[in-house]
Amino acid sequence: MSNISTTLESGKPRDVSSGNSKAGGRGLTIAIAVSAVLVAAGLALWAMQLSGGMVQTGMRNLDSWGLYITCFMFLVGLSAGGLIISSVPKAFGIQGFGGISKVAVMTSIAATVAAIGFVVVDMGQPFRVWELFVYSNLGSPLMWDIVVIGTYLILSCAYLWAQLQAEKGKVSHTALRVISVIALVCAVLVHSVTAWIFGLQQGREMWHTALLAPWFVSSALVCGTALVMVVIMALRKVGYLSLDQSHMVRLAKLLGAFVVVDLYFFGCDLLTEVFPGGSGAEVVSMLVAGPLAPYFWVEVIGCAACAVICFVPSLRTNALLAVGALLAIAGIFCKRVQLLVGGFQIANLDYPTVLTPMQHTSWDAGLSGIYGQLVYWPTPLEFGVMLGVVALGVLVFLLGVKFLPLKPAEDSSSK
Amino acid sequence: MAHYGYVIDSKNCIGCHACAVACKIENNLPNNNWWNRIFTIGGDNPNTPAGTFGENLTMGNMPVMCQHCENPACIRVCPVGATYKDAETGAVRQDYDKCIGCRMCMAACPFTGVRSFNWDEPKYAVDFPVGDPEVPAHQKHTVEKCTMCWHRLAKGEQPACIEVCPARIRYFGDFDDPDSEVSRLIAKRSYHQLLPEEGTRPSVYYLD
Repeated sequence: MSNISTTLESGKPRDVSSGNSKAGGRGLTIAIAVSAVLVAAGLALWAMQLSGGMVQTGMRNLDSWGLYITCFMFLVGLSAGGLIISSVPKAFGIQGFGGISKVAVMTSIAATVAAIGFVVVDMGQPFRVWELFVYSNLGSPLMWDIVVIGTYLILSCAYLWAQLQAEKGKVSHTALRVISVIALVCAVLVHSVTAWIFGLQQGREMWHTALLAPWFVSSALVCGTALVMVVIMALRKVGYLSLDQSHMVRLAKLLGAFVVVDLYFFGCDLLTEVFPGGSGAEVVSMLVAGPLAPYFWVEVIGCAACAVICFVPSLRTNALLAVGALLAIAGIFCKRVQLLVGGFQIANLDYPTVLTPMQHTSWDAGLSGIYGQLVYWPTPLEFGVMLGVVALGVLVFLLGVKFLPLKPAEDSSSK
Repeated sequence: MAHYGYVIDSKNCIGCHACAVACKIENNLPNNNWWNRIFTIGGDNPNTPAGTFGENLTMGNMPVMCQHCENPACIRVCPVGATYKDAETGAVRQDYDKCIGCRMCMAACPFTGVRSFNWDEPKYAVDFPVGDPEVPAHQKHTVEKCTMCWHRLAKGEQPACIEVCPARIRYFGDFDDPDSEVSRLIAKRSYHQLLPEEGTRPSVYYLD
């Protein structure tokens, strides 16, 4: 998905550097038009899904969540980095990253909008969404997530607005700092709560671990930071902003540290699962050598390679940093896939019984046919809707770039 | 206030699927939708034994539907309270009109496959409704499952699956009443529940 955004961004023209931030140039307009068309196509496909039934997706009773919830998890993660990178320096009064704060928050807003979009397209009855506010069961982790993610989106917008106002001298530095602290707490909460949607469900061996919330925070930091790096590099390349390489190196070191923490959490979790040799060992063998192995190894190797690139000074060239950041994003996406599919890959009651097309798309292949391979694979319709929702995020970001003064202020490098 | 539930003497189950069919008809279930299914304990395919012919063939049956847990995982996670516990019977019920189709309950329920989502507009084998007219209409894109035949309970009847069992291995009653048949059965016979480690305290007891 990051590939899509980078393609669109690198498709932007080189002549924008001369204009002010509001004049995006023709390339930007084209990119906005393309993403708007993709959003419209996604809406049409979603309407098709609703009218023709979700039977058109790859999801069934035995694998009742799929690509949409995977992308939801992933985009909630992506939304982290921007806000955290932007707010941590302000909250703790330490040196920032050279005025990229506003662009970073804009990536957060865009990713959050797309994340909410994925929950909506996954719902069977989206027109009953109002019930969430009328019949709220405040004990449900999904309800917590709706409250927190809504707050998060509003806060991110408020934070961006406050930064823009602060540059005009209308908002005091203290006020900005207070908002950034609140935004930071909310960012940590939003990842924890998303993790709890899965981690609090005792029925799924793969999900039920106390480590899931901190691990979601670390994964969010990894792919969020990586996304900010990719976006900044793309914007720098098209001349939208300039950023001293020292800031990029500091971002890379930060990314390396986050990746290592994420891998450490993964290692801790795997060891705890495998050591007693019980049902947890089944989960580990499914990851390491089973149907989910490709995702597992892309994640582990991709993240490890990213850490090496970030930590070895001679490897920190722009091209390699971009590769490393993209590897980290791909790795975390694989992690989301393996977490979601892994929850359904191991059945608690795996006795042969009546199977129907509502139970599984491979219902006629029997239990071994269902669980012997990846238990879920999306249909083209799901990929189409996914593209539409991602395009919505890209559209929000590009509109921000076009209409908001997101370029670093002149004095920002001294911050 | 009662705690209704099932006792199933699954060792004596003959695997005739009559309870599954009775459930399907009583509740006018759409095509491809089964709330109550018979699991085969034995071979890799339904109704096949484990072992070698002439030596050690073994096969058993285990009917499985919603376990109507005392501590249900599904109820806690539903964001709108569409799945809820009926205080009078202890049945775990589902309000189709409220369900937003998020499928949190399907992810939460440890008992694989007892919940079904209508992935399509419900279609039926015959073009007129069958079963009890008081059963609410099935809705596209909502989650459903065994209701403990609450419409029959309301009339003082037992669930449809209990009445039809030709082997008489399904029992239904109030576990809060120490004199009920189900209470007496689990008092004198050894039994097991499915997935006790999940801590949901199922209201379905399988006699050993």
